[in-house]
Amino acid sequence: MKSYISATVFSQRETVGGHFLIVLKVPSSFKESLPGQFVMVRVKSCNHPFLSRPFSIYSVYSHGKNTFLEILYKVVGKGTEVFSRLREGDILNILGPLGKGFDLPSECDKIVLIAGGVGIAPLSFLAEYCEKDSNHAEIICYMGAGNLEALVGMDRINGICSVVKISTDDGSWGHPGSVTELFGRDMELYLGNDSRIYSCGPNPMLRSLHQLLRDQHVACQVSLEERMACGIGACLGCVVKTKSDGLVRVCKEGPVFDINSIEFSDHNG
Amino acid sequence: MKLKMGVDIGGLALKNPIITASGTFGYGEEYSDYFDLNRLGAIVVKGLSLKPREGNPPPRIIETASGMLNAIGLQNVGVRAFIDEKLPWLRGTNSPVVANIFGETIEDYVNVVEILNDAEGVAAVEVNISCPNVKRGGIAFGSDPILAGEITRAVKNASRLPVIVKLTPNVTDITEIARATEAAGADALSLINTITGMSVDIEKRIPHLENVTGGLSGPAIKPVAIRMVWEVVNAVSIPVIGVGGIMNARDAIEFLIVGAKAVQVGTANFINPGIAVDIVDDMRKYMTEKGISDINNLIGTLKI
Repeated sequence: MKSYISATVFSQRETVGGHFLIVLKVPSSFKESLPGQFVMVRVKSCNHPFLSRPFSIYSVYSHGKNTFLEILYKVVGKGTEVFSRLREGDILNILGPLGKGFDLPSECDKIVLIAGGVGIAPLSFLAEYCEKDSNHAEIICYMGAGNLEALVGMDRINGICSVVKISTDDGSWGHPGSVTELFGRDMELYLGNDSRIYSCGPNPMLRSLHQLLRDQHVACQVSLEERMACGIGACLGCVVKTKSDGLVRVCKEGPVFDINSIEFSDHNG
Repeated sequence: MKLKMGVDIGGLALKNPIITASGTFGYGEEYSDYFDLNRLGAIVVKGLSLKPREGNPPPRIIETASGMLNAIGLQNVGVRAFIDEKLPWLRGTNSPVVANIFGETIEDYVNVVEILNDAEGVAAVEVNISCPNVKRGGIAFGSDPILAGEITRAVKNASRLPVIVKLTPNVTDITEIARATEAAGADALSLINTITGMSVDIEKRIPHLENVTGGLSGPAIKPVAIRMVWEVVNAVSIPVIGVGGIMNARDAIEFLIVGAKAVQVGTANFINPGIAVDIVDDMRKYMTEKGISDINNLIGTLKI
């Protein structure tokens, strides 16, 4: 039986402005987490915020007898604001790992990651996971953010990828403009059967990536974000419109989808 | 002390008074990884309509103070797919399965009931005349005593199963609707469904929900639910199932004390998927502590 469990905050720090890295001590069952999966998190015995919040898993690792789970997040509202004030020893309730993660690349694939802001979190976990498998030749990451201060998770991804290319909307670092534009300039390099593209970021970014790749025969998986109440497929609150299956649950059928299966609209991007 | 937790709801025998509420428990299977469903008093499945429904476009939910608004719009697989694809799995549990049903016309409701009559493994029907999130049907039936009576009578005449009618709080006098449905033959009542509400994004100046309005649930609505259950218990003689904001055994016990014979746990399932059995366990503890050997001796014991 799975259950809603208590997890202790091991540490928390602000990495770049408004972005936090929280490390939780979790049961060893979390070691089975796959890149792209998520957890539902709630402050124990607290009705404010009321609902659990979904977060992508940034990393899971063991140290001695303990298992640790990392979440990298941006403060965007009431829930994340409360989380950002948690300190070592505070107790959270968490549920997971949940959802369907990324289809992992096979041998010899060129792995291309396209991240917008804190969307780097699940992609970084994927990169870590693939790095352990020495058969993979190359992991390339395109990272975008509003400005230099909002480039989150860069140190870790720099240590894993052979190439990291940066864009900022205000031009304060790297290519001035969007990460989709930056990737678009190199796209020809990744249109072979040996490339797999993975992306996570704000919906407008995913929509422009979708437009860019629409007529290309290249595999691209995206991790979507949506408001959720339960995270386990019951509330039907987190649905997204797909081209062939109508409205499907992000928590259960996703959060990772083939980019071509999603019907991008005003709401979802 | 041997504890008796069984209750009878209009001919439906429950091993304990804890039921999972429609729309918060999927078709049961979603929760089977988290606890043994056999421990529930009953399971009410997601509202079923004659034809599958896609529901409302997203965003469909938003958190509010001690609660949430939803406007799912009765997304469901339809009654036939329920029977073919979901019910066989549910037959593996020994907790009674209650089919929540919904329609846009009285004929729709009757058709759904007739299809369910032939299905093995359904113990009762719960008639949803209280959904606030659909344009036709639902709440339109539940806020008019004459229509509520008509639909109850039609479903009751068509059904071989006990009929529970789920009432909306979005009315001036809920006892009027309760009496009308009792007079029309309802075997039991469940209340309350969600309270219509609205929430606005002040940055974009748009509603948080695509449907504009939604149904409020969670602890925020519990005092309203307790009050309405108390009013209805005093107005009718059929069993009443209390629903609204139950987060723990204490909340559930409040409903029993004001006279509900059973309760439904809803939004709390979203937060902790194992909560319903925690409530069963904690209710047992309360009974032991208070020396209550039969749960029926607790029901309706409010002192005023």
